[in-house]
Amino acid sequence: MISRAATVATLPATETPSAIRARTRHRRFLGRLGGYVFVLPYLTLFVVFLIFPLFYGLWLSGMRYELVSPQPPRFIGAGNYLEALRDPAFWNALGATVLFVVAVVPVTLVLALALAAGLEAVISSRRQSFYRLCIFLPTMITISVGGLVWRWFFNGEFGLFNALLEPLGVKVPWLTSPGWAMASIVLMTLWWTLGTPTVILVAGLKQIPRSYLEAAAVDGAGAVRRFFWVTLPLLRPVLLFVAVIQVIGGFQVFGQTFIITRGGPEQATRVLMQYIYETSFNMYRLGYGAAMSWLLFVIIVVVSLAQVRLLRQR
Amino acid sequence: MKGTHRLVSTIRQRRLVGLAVPVLAALALLVGCDRSGADDGAVTLRFWNGFTGPDGRTMLAMVQRFNRENPDIRVVMQRMDWGTYYNKLFVAGIDGRAPEVFVVHTDTLARLMRGRFVRAVDDLVGPGGIDAGDFDANVWQAVARDGRHYAIPLDIHMLGMYYNRKLFREAGIVDAHGEPRPPTNREEFLDALRKLRRDEDGDGRPETWGFVFTWLRTNAFSVMRQHGGRVFDEGYTHAALDTPQNVAALSFCESLVREGLAPSPEDLNAWIGFLQGRVGIAFEGIYMLPELQKQDDLDFGAAPLPVLGDQPAAWAQSHNLCLRADLEGRQLDAAKRFVRFLSDNSLDWAQGGQIPVRKSLRDTERFRRMTAQHAFAQQIPYACYLPQVPFAFEYLTEFDLAVERVLRGRMSAQAALEEATARIDRVIQRYAQQTNDLARAEVAR
Repeated sequence: MISRAATVATLPATETPSAIRARTRHRRFLGRLGGYVFVLPYLTLFVVFLIFPLFYGLWLSGMRYELVSPQPPRFIGAGNYLEALRDPAFWNALGATVLFVVAVVPVTLVLALALAAGLEAVISSRRQSFYRLCIFLPTMITISVGGLVWRWFFNGEFGLFNALLEPLGVKVPWLTSPGWAMASIVLMTLWWTLGTPTVILVAGLKQIPRSYLEAAAVDGAGAVRRFFWVTLPLLRPVLLFVAVIQVIGGFQVFGQTFIITRGGPEQATRVLMQYIYETSFNMYRLGYGAAMSWLLFVIIVVVSLAQVRLLRQR
Repeated sequence: MKGTHRLVSTIRQRRLVGLAVPVLAALALLVGCDRSGADDGAVTLRFWNGFTGPDGRTMLAMVQRFNRENPDIRVVMQRMDWGTYYNKLFVAGIDGRAPEVFVVHTDTLARLMRGRFVRAVDDLVGPGGIDAGDFDANVWQAVARDGRHYAIPLDIHMLGMYYNRKLFREAGIVDAHGEPRPPTNREEFLDALRKLRRDEDGDGRPETWGFVFTWLRTNAFSVMRQHGGRVFDEGYTHAALDTPQNVAALSFCESLVREGLAPSPEDLNAWIGFLQGRVGIAFEGIYMLPELQKQDDLDFGAAPLPVLGDQPAAWAQSHNLCLRADLEGRQLDAAKRFVRFLSDNSLDWAQGGQIPVRKSLRDTERFRRMTAQHAFAQQIPYACYLPQVPFAFEYLTEFDLAVERVLRGRMSAQAALEEATARIDRVIQRYAQQTNDLARAEVAR
């Protein structure tokens, strides 16, 4: 109290409103500066490793930039983009990618939702965190390790899966038939990526007020009706978020196919990211690779926006 | 409070000092090492390659021996996986940071030469150097461009026939002495396949197969060349995959699967099947030898490929030693000595499943005792490298796809090869366009 009174007393009586304004502005600037200083390290990395490459890639995509070409790089406008539209390998890769997304995203959503609902049904919190850990564990394994292990699981001759199926007299061509290969990749991806959406959905479920469910129960709604009429609508924003994240991740699929199948058999699992990688780093056609990357980027943005629109509507 | 604080900070300081001492010591050691190298005036050569398997240990032993015998040169070898290796080498090369000595496969040389950092090596051969006459003509020719040679071939590893001697004996494919008799032509090959295939329980899934396709690329390429087929026309202006010779070759391969003489690529992990003793014949590279020798219970033999078309041919590949283009002075002398050493001692290299390219080394008792290498080496006069073009990756992708589709019975040989030809032609046109543009630009200048 005393010190505050003293401060008030020391205020110069002559200070004008404009001086006060200047001082607050100064203070606000200092405050903001502090914020900038804190953000600076991240901002630097963000600009150097994300913003700069993004626009460098855009610039590259307009160039004929080929490391093995005797020609110096040259600006060719939309040439690379037009080439992609005429390139059967591009369409084949895009087709494989879309097939993967269409197969993996809905199954992930349904399974993750089922797992999350199952976890919520487990009352004991200690047990719940144990199960959550089990579900999340595969996500923490790097794709190279997971991919190599699953490649062995899928091996037709002495892989784990065919050994388990042997008593039934079934021998599945997991990786050697074009149809099965994509299914195998989807299976491996589910195992690998299911953890994150499940954990997010569990958090979403926890946010739904119990009173709503209790009220529905009092009104005579059974467990199934409560889930579909109360839980699911309230979970919508979280589901939307998970779906968008999954679609983005799905379009960027690379590690699984590259390690397990290398795009085979008959290029059935040669996804767009692999084709972009091969174009840029095996054929050394950096411009064309960059153009296809930008096409993929645009596709992802458009699909994500469409999803948000579609799922937000009531 | 204050006392505790001071104590904690003292401990922290001590810890820091404790940490700094070993770090500084390590740094000093590193610097010291570097200086010791500089002080004795030794020339350092960086040597890059992709020998990450057992072959890497063989090469490392050779490098260590060279370093011991040549105190004035220090070779530092770096190994990485071939895929990563070429990316790194190429980027380092066009940026002027290539290693002094590096290994390149014959069919990758054309692509690397476009980076303009590979030195011609004609001054390494001739009087006082390596005798060029000691190389087989086709091997030496494969590293030549416009009358100059750009690499010293180290080895030639080719496709050959491995056969299971036990299965051969059981099927009665033996000579007068009861020794297994590997097929040498199409009739004997087909006859052996029919005898070797055994389906005792009659479920349509044979317990043993006569033949498997292992690496489709090398298998198909060899059979195509045996039929007189080529991938490109003479001037490399068009793909020539859809010629009658290639169609006949691939149709023959497909007929083996269709008639049940070989499993579809979907049904059997081919090479493992051979290792398990369930396959009579497989065409694979000499580099599989160490793996085969480890398999104690497998009685295998090695022989040249049978002639399935109208002429002998076998896919081959070589590791070549290249020098960076801008080497000069002592570094160049050191690099020359190192390359010469590796070439002269390539019998050590052959021990690990390779065939030396020097005729004089193959004509030794020591090489004759390497029976599998010796058998495969008989094919050198008609060994075929894959075509050397800068767009190797592009055309091989199409080649592989066509072969795969045909052997899986999804497309006829004619249709698949026509499609591949059209697609490769597009790649050729793109490259030709660039070269033409460049020529025009130079004329305008």
